[in-house]
Amino acid sequence: MDEMNWKCFKCGVPLTKKAVVFEYMNRSFSHEVPVCPQCGKVFISEELAEGRMAEVEAALEDK
Amino acid sequence: MQLTDFTQFTGSCFNGEPASCACACPFALDVRGFAEKCEKGRWNAAWKALKTAVVFPAVVAALCPAPCREHCQRAPLGGAIDVPGLEKAAIRFARKKAEGYNVPPHTQTVAVVGAGACGLSAALNLALKKYVVTVFDKLPGWGGSLRDDPRFPEFEEDFKLQFSAVKEGFCNFIFDKAVTEADLASFDAVYFATGEGGFRLEGDKYFAGGPCAGWTMMEGIAMGPEASKVMEAYLMTGRPEPILPHEHAAHCDRYVSHDGAESAPPCETETEEGAQAEAARCLKCDCTECIDHCIMLQHFRKKPHGLAREAYADSAAAPPIATQSLVRQTYSCTNCGRCNAVCPTNANLGAMFMLSRTDRFRRNTGPRAFHDFWLREMDFSTGEASVFLAPKGKETCSYVFFPGCRLGMSAPRLVKEAYRFLQDTTGGDTGLMLGCCGVPALWAGDLDRLNANIAKLREGWEKLGRPTVVFACATCERTFRQYLPEIPLVSLYRKMAEAGLQPAKPSYDKAAVFDPCAAREDSELRSSVRDLAKLEGTELTELPGESRCCGFGGHIKVPNPELFRRFGEEAAAEAEEPYLVYCINCREVFKTRGKECRHILEEYFGPETGGIPSILEKRQNALTLKKELMKEGWDLDFTPSANPWDALELDISAELRQKMEETLVSISDLQETIWNAETAGDKLQRQDGWFLASLVKSVITYWVQYRPAEGGSENAFEVGAVYSHRMKWRGAEIQ
Repeated sequence: MDEMNWKCFKCGVPLTKKAVVFEYMNRSFSHEVPVCPQCGKVFISEELAEGRMAEVEAALEDK
Repeated sequence: MQLTDFTQFTGSCFNGEPASCACACPFALDVRGFAEKCEKGRWNAAWKALKTAVVFPAVVAALCPAPCREHCQRAPLGGAIDVPGLEKAAIRFARKKAEGYNVPPHTQTVAVVGAGACGLSAALNLALKKYVVTVFDKLPGWGGSLRDDPRFPEFEEDFKLQFSAVKEGFCNFIFDKAVTEADLASFDAVYFATGEGGFRLEGDKYFAGGPCAGWTMMEGIAMGPEASKVMEAYLMTGRPEPILPHEHAAHCDRYVSHDGAESAPPCETETEEGAQAEAARCLKCDCTECIDHCIMLQHFRKKPHGLAREAYADSAAAPPIATQSLVRQTYSCTNCGRCNAVCPTNANLGAMFMLSRTDRFRRNTGPRAFHDFWLREMDFSTGEASVFLAPKGKETCSYVFFPGCRLGMSAPRLVKEAYRFLQDTTGGDTGLMLGCCGVPALWAGDLDRLNANIAKLREGWEKLGRPTVVFACATCERTFRQYLPEIPLVSLYRKMAEAGLQPAKPSYDKAAVFDPCAAREDSELRSSVRDLAKLEGTELTELPGESRCCGFGGHIKVPNPELFRRFGEEAAAEAEEPYLVYCINCREVFKTRGKECRHILEEYFGPETGGIPSILEKRQNALTLKKELMKEGWDLDFTPSANPWDALELDISAELRQKMEETLVSISDLQETIWNAETAGDKLQRQDGWFLASLVKSVITYWVQYRPAEGGSENAFEVGAVYSHRMKWRGAEIQ
């Protein structure tokens, strides 16, 4: 999978999937995304940002 | 916020209210709904609606003088609808069945004196509600004056049908009886319907209706149910109230436009098909002017009164506990004013949506991401790109040129030429105000930011000696008129037309002037531009109806990109001729859609070459314009601020550039993201050499996939992907 081919430049380690808390429009929820296990740097793929995230953003904006 | 804060904009709207014919009807029959049922051949439903409104359909269909026809809006288009004919058709074709109410019986007794249609109407209603009713009449049967009518057998059949729903014992008839006060003593309430000049008594328990109370027979029948309600209230409370006639006639004059409706001759109503065809002639008059003229309102399918109620409900909602329902629509209004311009009663949905945006901004319930880009642009235009100057060597001036923010960003050369022209024609007495009127803040609902800018503009104008402001942008003019009414204004186009400036060769033999929304209420501005176009010899055609919005208004692009696109497409398709515009944003929208157009300034100062500048180029244009004008007119040096990332050279594909423009991502945002990542090493790396970096800027998070450009300098990068999102992450749990 493309998203797991990335590694953290600073820490030099591959990313692993972790639950990350997202916030938008005063609501928060958690979702598993690839994260640097050492420094916590998060990876959001283009597919996620323009797909599911955009959908959820629009749904929250409409509420 | 109060409900009235929102309904003040829609209170006069009569969408969904009875049509003019129904207002004229003594029974307030919903003729529109009745005709709809007839048209579909739903005769049972039509008859039921008729019976509910008129009590005795056969009597009314035969005897009502049909004042509805006088207010039928079909009248000039082939003749008024034959409502009595449709009523008779409903009677003829329906399977008729009278229905009573399932209510407990009452022990109180009511006398009705007079068994004519008016008395029977009240008696029927009371008896169906299970009051014990006794109807007296001096004649040998019911019907009163109708007994002499040759159609009485039909009427009597109708009476029988309606009274068939009354349970046994709740309505007794005593005929051949001239009642006296003593006969009525034992009853709890008495209703007199004794005809014109007929017998009646005065007192708390005595009520009267029909011609003996000064009503017509139709009013008497229509008021039977109302009289019944008043008597019921008296029986429950002991307090008599007057029986007030309906105020149905108040809005008979509410006519709606029927543009495009074709004339159609009346149809016979004897046959089912004929009656259906006659009902189909009914125009079902309801005012939908604002909706018919706005693709946004059509898209969301909500009506004005409901919108005001929902906007109010949203103002009281506290998300996430209580959700809002009108967010997207509120931010999809272009504030173009078209709905208000076409409304026959001056309702103003655009103003209501703007109030709602203000309320949402104040309460922080509106998505900040919708207007974040534009507010940052405004801060730039009112900050670094702004300067207020009197002409060189002067403290004050008679005129000051305020080109607005976008013209200088998109076409700085036109601003320079226009300023030179103004200096020439005013003997060097024109100062310069580069800035923004503040409409991005208004459209975002950010009144504090708007008012701060207005104060800054007022202060600058006063320092310049309160000159007349020469504006080039209709939106600036509208904002000035609203928030700085003390400032005298004149359009650049009026000055140009008056100066007799010689135009270059016209671009088009024939063109249509596309008016920006903000010029809607400024006929002088519109005529000035037409004068300029005529001066250059272009044959002008007028676009039909009220001018449309190109889609730029209200900054709806982020909240509703699809609607933004549709506004542009529909505005571009209004006429085949090329457009002459005088709003630089309209020009950009049309150029993007491939519509041939020119700004009227291009016709006088030469055409703009090159494509539409990018977001970054627009900012650079504004700063260069300021720098060059200051140097040229004042010999002042201005050095735009520089960022360390400005030197980065990015190789971005055309496809990606287009995506960035559509989603309002600046090249500068990419440069900053890459520079930060490269400086701090805060990035992700893939084996194939691509890097990925993110930058949170205001409420947007930008992501850039990039790699060093092949064979380029250390500052050169190739961009592989750009995307953004509005959510923020709080951080992962690191184990």
